[in-house]
Amino acid sequence: MNTQASSVLESVQALEKSLEQVEATVEREGLPDDERVRRAKKAFLRKLDGRKAVDLDTCIHCGMCAEACPFYETTQDERYAPVNKYHLLRRFYRREVSPMRPVFRPFTRDITIDDLREWRHYVFDACTGCARCDMICPMGINVSSLIRIVREGIGAADLMPPRLQRLKTEQAEKNSIVGVDGQKLREIADQLADQGIDVPLDKDGAEIMMLTTSMEMRSFPSALAANAKILNKAGANWTMFPEACESANLGYVAGDTAAMRVAVKRIVDKAKQHSIKTVVLPETGHGYQVLRWLGANTVGEQLPFEVLSIIEFIIREQGEGRLALKQGGAGTSVAYQDPCRLSRKGGILQEPRDILESMGFELRETEYHGREDYCCGGGCGEYVLSTGSELRHKVFALKKGLFEDTGADKVVTACASCRYNFLIGAEKSGWEKPIISLSETVAEQLAD
Amino acid sequence: MTLLEFARGPGLQWALWIFLFGVLWRVVGAMYLLGTKDLSKFRSKHYVRDGLRAVLTRSAPAEAFEKKIRFQHLTGYAWHLALFISVLFFAPHILFFESVLGFGWPHLPNTVILVTAAIATATLIALLIRRATHPVQRLISNADDYISVLAVLMPLVSGILAFAHVGARYETLLAIHLLTVEFMLVWYPFSKLMHTFMTIPSRYQTGTFFGHRGVKA
Repeated sequence: MNTQASSVLESVQALEKSLEQVEATVEREGLPDDERVRRAKKAFLRKLDGRKAVDLDTCIHCGMCAEACPFYETTQDERYAPVNKYHLLRRFYRREVSPMRPVFRPFTRDITIDDLREWRHYVFDACTGCARCDMICPMGINVSSLIRIVREGIGAADLMPPRLQRLKTEQAEKNSIVGVDGQKLREIADQLADQGIDVPLDKDGAEIMMLTTSMEMRSFPSALAANAKILNKAGANWTMFPEACESANLGYVAGDTAAMRVAVKRIVDKAKQHSIKTVVLPETGHGYQVLRWLGANTVGEQLPFEVLSIIEFIIREQGEGRLALKQGGAGTSVAYQDPCRLSRKGGILQEPRDILESMGFELRETEYHGREDYCCGGGCGEYVLSTGSELRHKVFALKKGLFEDTGADKVVTACASCRYNFLIGAEKSGWEKPIISLSETVAEQLAD
Repeated sequence: MTLLEFARGPGLQWALWIFLFGVLWRVVGAMYLLGTKDLSKFRSKHYVRDGLRAVLTRSAPAEAFEKKIRFQHLTGYAWHLALFISVLFFAPHILFFESVLGFGWPHLPNTVILVTAAIATATLIALLIRRATHPVQRLISNADDYISVLAVLMPLVSGILAFAHVGARYETLLAIHLLTVEFMLVWYPFSKLMHTFMTIPSRYQTGTFFGHRGVKA
């Protein structure tokens, strides 16, 4: 293992141990079964609109989506076919919503509590919402958005995996994740100040609000330091707010839209309160998805600030001449892991490649990359689920083979979940390929 | 009233009305479900370009997936092309369309139509066998999937038999052929055959969804 990976491995393992402390086996009691089913149906109904109806009425059950799904590919288990993952929603639509429901209803089974418990495994343990299935469907169905609704239905029924149940509640109620909160940010800022890296906290008049993640604070503080160096080098007028620094959203991950809204509002309210012009997200896939694409819809109004990923910020600053990078990557080949929610679902496809090449790295693409890249196997909270660990390690093995085929010296990614999942997978399989962060790599190449 | 007179007269009329009303009801009904406006700031506002691109590009699989779905892709093309040629370029069919529409078009030789009908039938049977044997398709298939295959298979087989004058008097075979077409028309709006009308809107809206985010879908 390279030096950089070794230095983070201990903290990665510490996070894994912390997650194990979170109750992982007991389903929360309290709601009667019929109430859970009612809530799930209500969530389905709320999300079913004309677009979803068209998608559901277009499906011809060809099953091609299975061929895009890493969980199906690595297991050949037909239950993991994306079309099966949204089967519950289709049944509900045909019984309760379709214009043909009087005809369909007698022939379509109602949803039961057992269905919800069964589908929980399919949409939480065996789906990261990576949207690769959206790219293959010959009918053009937005498959992942249908599966997402099933996840939200199960979330509304409070039947999400218990560990996610605990974590999303902790974030909504205590503004912390696995015990990591704004206080941790203050501690890191103090430590970085001792190293000469300025992390301005609660600064009035700042134009840019930088976010972090609990995973970054706990396992990859070097990434937080890297982002600070980049912002400082670009001469940005920026700050971080310990009360609203968390960009991970466990409500989104758990399918609980109310908890998701609480976390989004913390950021939006703080940004509005300080007239922030730009919110920059660290290396996070789902955090970007939530704030950039779902944030406005979640709070019910257009956001009065722009939302950028750290990648977009770097490329913008490079383009405007405020950030110069050295060519320290010359002679090193890298393969880039496209985080699903940044690339396929976020549109950030070319930027990371341009940044890597601007530092002199030789980019070696995996057989499937960009729009068609495979998920790391641990996205959208999958990495915290003990129930999905066997599945995600199978996906990791698939990814490992693809990276090996490139012959690249290092693997680079721009998502802490991808990085974490790869580091755990590498440790368990004895893989020694260095897995590095894009923003940390950029910070190392900042020109004097 | 003979069986053929019924099939040509009230049978066909009722089937067409059910087809037209059913299709309209289902398409308008589905699209009438209101959606909420997306408030996020779009990366691209070329709605029509993004939507139309998906409508066109989804007719061929992305290179990354082509190997894995080649069989379904090729049989899908073979099935649809052979079906359309058989339906639209058979001389008696064109006479029928001319009586309804008021205009006709050139037809293909009968031997060509016989070949295309045979190809359509064979590919449909191959797809049916795949559905019954492939683990994913077997799991997700329901009565609609199988009845819909039968609904389009029956007119093909009865049409070939009528064309070849095999199995019964021509009038009887023709009546059976018309009745199977009418069954398909009645079944249509309640079934997956509706994908005919839904595919383009579905591709378009997915194209715009990803286009907003700067991704070519």
